[in-house]
Amino acid sequence: MSNDILFLAEFSGGSPARSGLELATGAAELASQSGGSAVALAYGAGAASGAAALGAHGATRAIVLGDEDRPPITYAPAAVAAARDAGLALLAPATPNGRDLAAALVGLLDLPAFGPVRAVRVVDGLVETEQATLQGSVITTARPADGAPTPAVVLVLANTFTPAEGGSGTAEVTEASAADESALTRATVAESHEAEAKVVNLEEATIIVAGGRGVGGEEGFGPLRELASALGGAVGASRAAADAGWIPYQLQIGQTGKVVKPALYIGAGISGAIQHRVGMQTAEHVIAINKDPDAPIGEFADLFVVGDLFQIIPALTEEIRRRKGA
Amino acid sequence: MKIVVCIKQVPATGADKRYTDDLRLDRAAAEAIINPLDEYAIEQALRLADAGAAESVTYLSMGPDQAAEALRRALAMGGDDAVLVSDPALAGADEWGTAKVLAAALDKLAPDVALMGMASDDARGSLVPGAVAAMRDVPLLSYGAELAVSDGEARVRRLSATGYDWVGAPMPVVASVTDQVGEPRYASLKGIMAAKRKPMETWSLEDLGLSADDLRGAALTQVTDARAPEAKAPTERLENLPAAEAAAKIADWLAARKLI
Repeated sequence: MSNDILFLAEFSGGSPARSGLELATGAAELASQSGGSAVALAYGAGAASGAAALGAHGATRAIVLGDEDRPPITYAPAAVAAARDAGLALLAPATPNGRDLAAALVGLLDLPAFGPVRAVRVVDGLVETEQATLQGSVITTARPADGAPTPAVVLVLANTFTPAEGGSGTAEVTEASAADESALTRATVAESHEAEAKVVNLEEATIIVAGGRGVGGEEGFGPLRELASALGGAVGASRAAADAGWIPYQLQIGQTGKVVKPALYIGAGISGAIQHRVGMQTAEHVIAINKDPDAPIGEFADLFVVGDLFQIIPALTEEIRRRKGA
Repeated sequence: MKIVVCIKQVPATGADKRYTDDLRLDRAAAEAIINPLDEYAIEQALRLADAGAAESVTYLSMGPDQAAEALRRALAMGGDDAVLVSDPALAGADEWGTAKVLAAALDKLAPDVALMGMASDDARGSLVPGAVAAMRDVPLLSYGAELAVSDGEARVRRLSATGYDWVGAPMPVVASVTDQVGEPRYASLKGIMAAKRKPMETWSLEDLGLSADDLRGAALTQVTDARAPEAKAPTERLENLPAAEAAAKIADWLAARKLI
């Protein structure tokens, strides 16, 4: 067993996902605690040429599992070859793709699994994680059981680590060794449909302005977009708004949508049901704007503004633009 | 085409929950329900049965004896029969342990599609479907907003970064579905009566050919501490202010935290 910290680095269309950069930095942090190196398992189109650059964010080595755009789960056999007995922990992004690949490793190598975690560290040579469970009502600390196989698989939410910038390091790149046959490789994309409008990856946003039922319709998101633009952020939504067709499902925050961890979350016309809350409760700062003084979101927001969002949001946008001098 | 829907009994979403002294979830303390996200898997399976695409729908759950109630409730919505895997050695099972047991039970039931909800309400790791697929060496079709089957192939419609894909694989498969498959049906009175007569079996680990040793205490993880979340600072409230004034105060608040 080595003390290395592995991490999944997804590429698509030639570029790395931000999660890979964040996890490179996170893995380097843990590796400094464990006395090992940060090692990327890079996959997807662009991985072969882009893996070395993960060195700038903390990776010492990178193993390329494959360089095609195909369902990430199909990279599981190659990941197994790279991860078997190969490190103390494996960090995976807590996204659908990251979870699929992490789950396959848990199943194929009988590995302990944690997360999504809110903190992870190495204590006395062992991985220790902290996570909010039971809809955030309990915080648990957990470790691998005595004698459990390694690496421990740890799901990490976006924005848990901030990618180190300005590094000039280059990761040493190797090809993954031959993988075993596996039925997991039989999943293929049969059809692909592009949405009409471009949607952002909400998990990567550091500021989110989210709208709910109270926004009232597709047009109601207009003022929210203006505010997001003034703040340099992105627009998100509750399930009610996505179900109503006001906004694409890619922008839904919550239990069955994106789980986000921005520096600032502003919820407008969102009541704050538990299913939404579990998708944004780890935001650093939460502002709620709602005309109902008893909305549940008022119980956990840091700042609760009771009032009409259609008046307050445009005024706030104007105020921010004025202060930014634009 | 045979479907097995895996369901989990969980504490009711809003219920008061706590851990026992030995750091396990106190499952006796709260009202128990079918994991709400599993109801979408049930609904998807029953829609395929209604359309004639599935010949049978079986429910599978791992849990204490009272998890039989969750299986009865599922049977009241529709479907044919149910299996509960219950064994004292499974108390405190983690995601790996749960996947190990479900994989062994699914090997025995041999469905064309093993269908699951996208996550459980109480833990939310979403790892069980993928781990089960890997252990059984069958393809995984995950996070389906819809599941379709034809000619020996299963497909899910899955959100992509910019739209959606249909991802397919030859059956047998493990599939998971989201809350976009459609609202779960209610059990009718007739359904509730009929469910009482539907077959339900209880299997032990021995019935699955698994030993407690294979399962290493049903967990590769151990919880070392469980506590209440840190108390947060009380919410600051702004009420009854003209919009411009509220906006200025919000901007001050943001500036004080270096967010603008």
